[in-house]
Amino acid sequence: MKKLFTEIGLFFQRKIRENVRQPVWIMSGLMTPLLYILLFSPLLRNLSHPPLTTAQILNSFVPGILTLLAFSTGMGSGWTIIHELETGVVERMRVTPAYRFSMLAGSVLADIASFLVPAVLVIVIAAFFGFEVHVVGLLILLVMLCLLVAIVSAWSTAIGLIVKQIGSLAAVVTTLQLPLTLLSGILLPISLGPLWLRVVAHIDPLYYTVEASRVLATGKLWATSIGVAWAVIVPLTVIVMAWATRVYRKAVA
Amino acid sequence: MDAAIETVGLKKTFPAKGKGGAVEAVRGVDLSIPHGEIFGFLGPNGAGKTTCQRMLTTLLPIGAGQARVAGFDVAREPSKVRCHIGAVGQLGGSDGPATGRENLMLSGRLYGLSRRDTLRKIDEVSELLDLGEPLDRVVNTWSGGQKRRLEIALGIMHEPEVLFMDEPSTGLDPQNRANLWTHILRLKERGMTIFLTTHYLEEADALADRLAIIDHGEIVAEGTPEELKRQVSPEEVAQRIQREVPSGATLDDVFFKICGRRLRDAESEEEEVA
Repeated sequence: MKKLFTEIGLFFQRKIRENVRQPVWIMSGLMTPLLYILLFSPLLRNLSHPPLTTAQILNSFVPGILTLLAFSTGMGSGWTIIHELETGVVERMRVTPAYRFSMLAGSVLADIASFLVPAVLVIVIAAFFGFEVHVVGLLILLVMLCLLVAIVSAWSTAIGLIVKQIGSLAAVVTTLQLPLTLLSGILLPISLGPLWLRVVAHIDPLYYTVEASRVLATGKLWATSIGVAWAVIVPLTVIVMAWATRVYRKAVA
Repeated sequence: MDAAIETVGLKKTFPAKGKGGAVEAVRGVDLSIPHGEIFGFLGPNGAGKTTCQRMLTTLLPIGAGQARVAGFDVAREPSKVRCHIGAVGQLGGSDGPATGRENLMLSGRLYGLSRRDTLRKIDEVSELLDLGEPLDRVVNTWSGGQKRRLEIALGIMHEPEVLFMDEPSTGLDPQNRANLWTHILRLKERGMTIFLTTHYLEEADALADRLAIIDHGEIVAEGTPEELKRQVSPEEVAQRIQREVPSGATLDDVFFKICGRRLRDAESEEEEVA
């Protein structure tokens, strides 16, 4: 057990150090959610009569943006792992006696950390413009979104190890990213859509977190949608992490 | 005493992919390498060298046959094997954005050394491999030769019994290559068994106590460089067309005698196939 924690710590530290030394990525990670708030949220103002206030817009839009941030932060790990395959890092780590799970968990935790920092920043900036902060609800939401980062990050790592090429990875990711984002209701609530769209949305894991996120952000700690989201996210985290560890075990450049 | 590396009938077949049929990369390799030896594993690209090394270092499941490394069965006790070997892959695998010291620290800790022991070990290996000056610089700024020595250092932080090296001098200029050879010989002096995969004949000639030549997944010759060269008659040497006057049999002659083509030709064939 001690070996496991030490190793996860070491791999986590390695990734964080790498991230901190490439400040360009930190900046771009921060910019995306802020740009959404700045350039997209004003479009929502005139969707209803009378026009929504900035605070109202942010209240319904910020939770979705946090989900989107979690999703895109996790997605990046596939690119990193392909680079590590090509430079022999994966192979070097795999000849050490370190647990394969530690290698995965270290990088997943680093992704979680690089999600939390901009997420908190987004909340603080949004609060400044009138977003209502319900501390407990937001904390629970962040925990849920950390699991989402873990799912996406582990998935992306595994896909990277399987397809081994940046081009193929980009194809897989972009093919999935747009439908998953649209169906999740991040940008506009799915409830606005026709029945078939609302049904199809249920195959999208993001849909459940977005639904739950809107409730949690209002400070309400229990609702069916929150329960359903946990019931989807928790088992999915376990399954994807286990699968990605298996893929790690077999990976060769 | 057990051999450091022992294989019996080691095989690996890769399943058919796309249009190509199944590839028999390794077709029954028997090796017995005693402790403390530098063993050269020589052959053209695509001969099955790297596949063998990957199986012996637990990176690739063994297809068929048996392999024991450092006294442990590779298939049944992979984690024990990993604790007792070091492996330097073709691609190196150092972390570019981290400093040399940070790379070495991670490696030492992953092999189970305490922080303090790792710090001590870093001083020792950096002296052994002359890493001194750039140690606290980010590895991306290091020269090719320095990087290669760092990557060897990463593989010996835990004093492995057996060190595997896959094409360690690829991409190095002659001066850096000679320098690397000196360092590899230093490791042997410390009692390490070294399994050296290479397609540079001069490298095997300069370093190996014994060597095996592998072609199309099979071992075609095995012995000391001298023994192998003695098998080639002066007439056969004379057949070799070269600008300089040949002084004696080279390992290329050995390869030619057995495989009917020069190693360099074998490689350009590979490239054409690819």
